[in-house]
Amino acid sequence: MGGVLLMLGGCAGEQSALDPAGRGAEQIAALFWWMLGGAVVIWCIVVGLAIYAIRIAPGPHDDRQMRLWVIGGGAVIPTLVLTVLLIYGLSMLPGLVRAAPEGSLQVDVVGLQWWWQVRYPASESVKLANEIRIPVGEPVQFNLTSADVIHSFWIPALGGKVDMVPGRETRLTLEPTRTGRFRGVCAEYCGASHALMAFDVVVMERAAFDEWLAAQQEPAKEPQGPLEVRGREVFLRRGCGACHAVRGTRADGVVGPDLTHVGSRASLGAGTLENSPDAFRKWIAHTSRTKPAVRMPDFDMIPEADLRALAAYLESLQ
Amino acid sequence: MSPTSEQRLPEREESLWMLTVSPTIWAGHFLASYVTAAVWCAKVQDSSSSLWPARIAIAIYTVTALIGIVVTGWIGLQRARVEPDAVQDFQDTPLGRHRFLGFATLLLSVLSGVATLFVAAVILFMETCE
Amino acid sequence: MSARNDNPTRDDAAPSPERQREQEERLLAAWKTPTGLRYWSAVNNSEVGMWYTAASCLFFLFGGILALLMRVQLAVPGNDFLTADRYNQIFTMHGSVMMFLFAVPIFEAFSIMVLPEMLGARDLPFPRLSAYGFYSFVIGGIFVCGSVFFDAAPKGGWFMYPPLTTSYQPGIGADIWLLGLSFIEVASIAAAVELIVGVLKCRPPGMRIHLIPLYSWYILVVAGMILFAFPPLIAGDILLEMERAFDWPFFDPSRGGDPVLWQHLFWIFGHPEVYIVFLPSVALMAMIVPTFARTPIVGYSWVVLAAVGTGFLSFGLWVHHMFTVGLPGVTIGLFSAASQAVAIPTGVQLFCFLATLLAGRVINSVPIMFTFAGLATFIIGGLTGVMVAVAPFDFQAHDTYFVVGHLHYVLVGGTIFPIVAGAYYYFPLITGKKLSDRLGRIAFWLLLIGFNITFLPMHWTGLTGMPRRVFTYPANAGYDLLNMVSTVGAFLLAAGFVVVVWDIVRPKGNQPYSERNPWNAGTLEWLAEMPDRPWGIRSIPIIESRYPLWDQSDFARDVDEGRFYLPDAEEGLRETLVTSVIDARPMQCLRVPGPTFLTFWSAAFTGGMFIFATYHWWWPAILSGLAALATILRWLWTGTAWIPEKDEKDVGLGVTLPIYVSGPQAVGWWAMFITMLADMTAFIALVFGYFFYWTIHEDFPPEPYPGPGALWPSCGAVLLMSAWGLTVFAKRWNRDDRAGAFYAAATSAVVACLAGGAALVQGPLAAGLDPTTHVYPAIVWVLIGWTALHVALGILMLLYCMARRFAGKMTARHDADITNVTLYWHFLALTVVITVGVIVGFPLVA
Repeated sequence: MGGVLLMLGGCAGEQSALDPAGRGAEQIAALFWWMLGGAVVIWCIVVGLAIYAIRIAPGPHDDRQMRLWVIGGGAVIPTLVLTVLLIYGLSMLPGLVRAAPEGSLQVDVVGLQWWWQVRYPASESVKLANEIRIPVGEPVQFNLTSADVIHSFWIPALGGKVDMVPGRETRLTLEPTRTGRFRGVCAEYCGASHALMAFDVVVMERAAFDEWLAAQQEPAKEPQGPLEVRGREVFLRRGCGACHAVRGTRADGVVGPDLTHVGSRASLGAGTLENSPDAFRKWIAHTSRTKPAVRMPDFDMIPEADLRALAAYLESLQ
Repeated sequence: MSPTSEQRLPEREESLWMLTVSPTIWAGHFLASYVTAAVWCAKVQDSSSSLWPARIAIAIYTVTALIGIVVTGWIGLQRARVEPDAVQDFQDTPLGRHRFLGFATLLLSVLSGVATLFVAAVILFMETCE
Repeated sequence: MSARNDNPTRDDAAPSPERQREQEERLLAAWKTPTGLRYWSAVNNSEVGMWYTAASCLFFLFGGILALLMRVQLAVPGNDFLTADRYNQIFTMHGSVMMFLFAVPIFEAFSIMVLPEMLGARDLPFPRLSAYGFYSFVIGGIFVCGSVFFDAAPKGGWFMYPPLTTSYQPGIGADIWLLGLSFIEVASIAAAVELIVGVLKCRPPGMRIHLIPLYSWYILVVAGMILFAFPPLIAGDILLEMERAFDWPFFDPSRGGDPVLWQHLFWIFGHPEVYIVFLPSVALMAMIVPTFARTPIVGYSWVVLAAVGTGFLSFGLWVHHMFTVGLPGVTIGLFSAASQAVAIPTGVQLFCFLATLLAGRVINSVPIMFTFAGLATFIIGGLTGVMVAVAPFDFQAHDTYFVVGHLHYVLVGGTIFPIVAGAYYYFPLITGKKLSDRLGRIAFWLLLIGFNITFLPMHWTGLTGMPRRVFTYPANAGYDLLNMVSTVGAFLLAAGFVVVVWDIVRPKGNQPYSERNPWNAGTLEWLAEMPDRPWGIRSIPIIESRYPLWDQSDFARDVDEGRFYLPDAEEGLRETLVTSVIDARPMQCLRVPGPTFLTFWSAAFTGGMFIFATYHWWWPAILSGLAALATILRWLWTGTAWIPEKDEKDVGLGVTLPIYVSGPQAVGWWAMFITMLADMTAFIALVFGYFFYWTIHEDFPPEPYPGPGALWPSCGAVLLMSAWGLTVFAKRWNRDDRAGAFYAAATSAVVACLAGGAALVQGPLAAGLDPTTHVYPAIVWVLIGWTALHVALGILMLLYCMARRFAGKMTARHDADITNVTLYWHFLALTVVITVGVIVGFPLVA
């Protein structure tokens, strides 16, 4: 691999469990802060006692008193603390694993090496890759499957993670509490490019979401300028349609991501590159260098001019 | 100490297995609870429906297990309290050994009891197979 | 007190100096360590234990270098120091090496080395088994580690989740992991058997069960855990390798398999594993703390409670590694509750140590400093462990750097620091010379500071969103600086280890030998002379206290002058005492075998079998396996169940003990019993697989797969049960010295076995069950195959007994062989009943 990978820069907080933007994440963050506080207190007491015994007062102490330490400090107090924590944790649990109420928005996500296919069952034609948009303030149910190995679907800012296991369908309910742009990642090691399997999450107001979903249902825009027209011609001639679909053209491949609205997405290659014409060129010509072991071959034989046209066409697919 | 109390404590009456009784009861309770819940949810009910029968079964397991653990702990306590003033449990006599095994049995019973209650607490909170 | 003791006390009159010298000469001759190239044929615990410890430390350094490579790669975002593929190999190997080639073996190695010293035994009961385990470990370890240099290392993570490791990773990496490490796991179980028997049966007279050193309690618990934890992984390895090599679809959902089964089997092993690694280090602390506090441990019973309790509870935690798999909430809740309960015994242990420190007058020194470092860091790991045991928090923290931080606090704080403490503490015992106090203090600060700089930030790295096992990460995601800090810390940590390694290997020629018992400890191992003598202990003492060196007057003098048991080796043979389990009354004078290269060759051929199989070179693998069998048989034939020249022997103090013992009194019987417990556990794990598949399938056996039929398996069961009965009779008739009846019964048993085994296999064969089509035929075949393999072993054992009797090596009185084989057969009968019950009976009732 030559040169440092040019990777997508994120923003601090987009991917943080401690900067919650969802109901589950808020509850868990609160739980964490309580536990952290308790842990710090316990650690200080116990380690303080050890330092006291070793350095400050290394004199013998009464044996009977020591037994009280063992019973009280070692057994009784931990049991009480753990009981409280157990009840706290268990009371939170049903709410986090429960299915979303009937009629909530459903999103089907399939994990593949190393990208995400996203579908909205209510709007059948919409097929996204590596980008999820959901409305704020309502529970959303994600139905998770895998097409190959085990992946794990995790949007730290919104809540916990759930694995995608081949042969099973798992489920995760999230409820965003504020709008914004977040980042999700695959949390289960899934092979060579596990590190390069992220996705963008956009939480929108309901109205904006509906508008966006309607736009996604449209077929691809006809290319406007000559460069874009040539780009589409390159796209079809080079056989990109064998793997990728662009609705409205004869490209109907199902192996790779649907590219009907690829220009509107925030990133390329499952969160690997920021979406730009340059990024498209880099991705198409040097795919395996950008993302090791990816199934898409390097198209570095495409002449530079064709590549520019292709990138312009894809960028235009808003 | 009288020779008779020595004779009451021959080695063959005592074995290490007594220590493992309460933890084994805990393990049996845990496994039974897990298997009951898992089989109930996987084979009998679909995921949205009630966990009630499994919860009742786990409650029954819990009561049974706790009875076993309390009895074991009580036996341990009796052994630990044999002639409490006569000898300390680190001394090199069969009685010391007897009291040690009794006390350790008691402690393990308390731990197993607490762990059983912890596990049983789950059925207070989980109402469905979700 | 001695009046009440049912043991005799020491000899009041010491043997004359003349006689003492003669005794010493004979003992030295019997226990002489071989020299030259034959040095490597030594089997004595002090040599094997030392090699074993050194080898696992070398693997630790190798794993540490891998870790540094990872930290360099992760120092900056988007780094290209390592390729993704290399990085994945390296993180897989780092975890696997640290767990399988360091953490578990170091405890077994170290225990092999010092346990006999703590128990005043001359050796462990099966010295050759230790040597076999050691050579297996080294061969397997080098094979697995070597793959890194050929870019062929496993890259599925140390947890090897299918289907990534079945259908998506061609090449031999995963096979190296599965076969190489299975080989080592078998060696680990062998060592566990040895240690359990060692603690229970080879204690010095008078060391009642409540007087044994706490280290031995922990070893007993941990070895017991190994027996029940490793076999499920071996069962999983079998299933995974069958899928890789022969396409049996255990984890392939398209043919009815399920990858989640592997996760269950792996973590049923994997979670107890954490405690298997952690408890021995607590055991070291339990030895070090009283020594430096100059007072007996406070709450001995409580520590025993904690060890035993943790051992049990640790088997109820495995699903907390699977909280995010999407299991029902109630399952998550059950395992979450158990995971929190296990914190209670852990807290008890720590407070016992604290109370001991408070109760005594603490002498500050390097071992106690590292013990403190271990406590302070482990507590953080324990507290974060409680956090991740709370399932909702784990939904966020799972598979992130938070867990990387947590597990290193547990394993470095709970394991490595105590091991360094143990190294500084026990080094004089091994070499006769102390390590440097100055270097120790430098290492202490480097390790403590370096460790915390490396791993404390990782908790934040994880919660700000960085998943584990990533070869790179994007810039500006909020954890660039945290990663850089961790990398800097890692090098500081490495510098600390360099100091420790230097302290250990630096030439110490000019340094005088340490005085005897340099730390003024109270436990038996510190009787060792500096440097130690090969006989282990001059005479085997009578113990009256938990700290005999503190409490028993003139103790060292009496031992040295041979006033206790076995002060001599009149016959020039290696001998040690076997005592009873509870009160340690002398039961037997056990003769243990001496140096041999047989164990090396057995290990080499066993290793060859696994290594050739990795490359699918079936014929060399089979030949190597046969050679292993031949060498092991030779080893058993020449090295076990010797008929002694006399029945009994005077072991001193007017006590006469039998030399040859069979049945439940014999250590060999115990070893067979314990081994078979492990064997049954692996089998039960396979049966668990059957029922697991039953729960995930609507119908099991599913359409259109027929069951194996009732006829053939039932015939097989009847025949095999009669073979079992015949074996029991063979044992009885041998004891009655009815040679004809013995041979007839044994021969009929062999015939019944052959017919029964064939009938068992005929069941699925006649039904046309093809194991590659669906998981149902595959799991049936695995159960049948497992049973058939055990039947074959059973036949071999019967033939062996007949040959022994024929050769005059087994008689009516000396019947250990047939007694142990009968014990094997009891377990085999159970296996047959369960197999047939499951594959024939269960479909009828379900």
